[in-house]
Amino acid sequence: MNKELEHQFVTELENNQNIVHKVCTLYTNDRDSHNDLFQEITIQLWKAYPKFRGESKFSTWMYRVALNTAITLYRKSKRRVRTQDYESVIFKIKADEYDATEEEQLKLMYKAVKQLGDIDKALVFLYLEDKDYREISETLGISEVNARVKMNRVKKKLRTVLNP
Amino acid sequence: MDELELLKKDWQKKGEQLPKLTYDDIHRMTWKKSSSIVKWILIISILEIIIPNLLYLIPSFRQSMSIYENTVVDQYFMGMTVVYYLVVFYFIYLFYKRYKEISVLDSAKGLMRKIIRTRRTVKYYVIFSLSTILVFIAIVIIGIYLNDSFMDNFTELAGDSKEVSPEKLKTTLMVSMAILGVVLTAFFGGIYFLLYGLLLRKLKSNYKELKKLEV
Repeated sequence: MNKELEHQFVTELENNQNIVHKVCTLYTNDRDSHNDLFQEITIQLWKAYPKFRGESKFSTWMYRVALNTAITLYRKSKRRVRTQDYESVIFKIKADEYDATEEEQLKLMYKAVKQLGDIDKALVFLYLEDKDYREISETLGISEVNARVKMNRVKKKLRTVLNP
Repeated sequence: MDELELLKKDWQKKGEQLPKLTYDDIHRMTWKKSSSIVKWILIISILEIIIPNLLYLIPSFRQSMSIYENTVVDQYFMGMTVVYYLVVFYFIYLFYKRYKEISVLDSAKGLMRKIIRTRRTVKYYVIFSLSTILVFIAIVIIGIYLNDSFMDNFTELAGDSKEVSPEKLKTTLMVSMAILGVVLTAFFGGIYFLLYGLLLRKLKSNYKELKKLEV
């Protein structure tokens, strides 16, 4: 395997690893699964890397591979230990940054997002990452109009959780 | 929606709380083996394609086939085998082609569709080979029915018990062959559809969800 290509890839991924970590955070419930999924995404990215021609930014290209791996390719491991600590570590909100209600609201929001289905999660993820509807629709393989419709439904779903 | 905007702001600040992997950590990962669903589908599909063909490699199976030498049944078998392998190779070619089309760079929906299509090829193959087993057993039963000398061998084996008439023995043999055939087919079919269901359950429901939007 080309050493230079490998070095280039690992450096790019090291610089953009937050994207993959965020996907793992959304799609897994414990640290072991997080690491498992991170590894699988890395493998898939590396396998696809020779086809990456630099037409888009490395990060843009990563979103698609990472989400495809999380939604479709990844087989959840047998371990189903739900460690509550994990979520509170990842989604920890510093108390002095927010007032209590805001903190409470955010906690509820994150919890609600984690409970969404795979596809809804992907929509919310891309939305939170500030992607436009064109990119969301292309990543998921649906039309832009349908991406909007779906997003509105997800928003409604989240609203119901927050204001029952 | 205000809450979602609030979430977005918070989400984008998450960077510092996320784990940080070093260059070496990531480098090590690139050498690990994938355990993706596509890999499992490949392994299981190859097994499913090979297993029915292994039957022909069992010596006792080939021996039992030799009783049909130079009979009409034998010619049927020859013809069937040729057709069978042509179809098998066609399925292998189709499977390979579809497997190669699976790309992680596709859209989520496109990727799911291609995986389902690849697996569907194997499903048709399994249905085909299960039907072949049934047809094969049907031919054996017909062989027993038409071939009296075969029954002679059988009565020799059974000893010279006179209580059972050859006719009755023949019927019993044919019925048990039929039951065996159906049970065998149902068993392999059951295993297959269980595996198929387990492998694709999540994928299919996600695919349905995306597809539902397009209606």
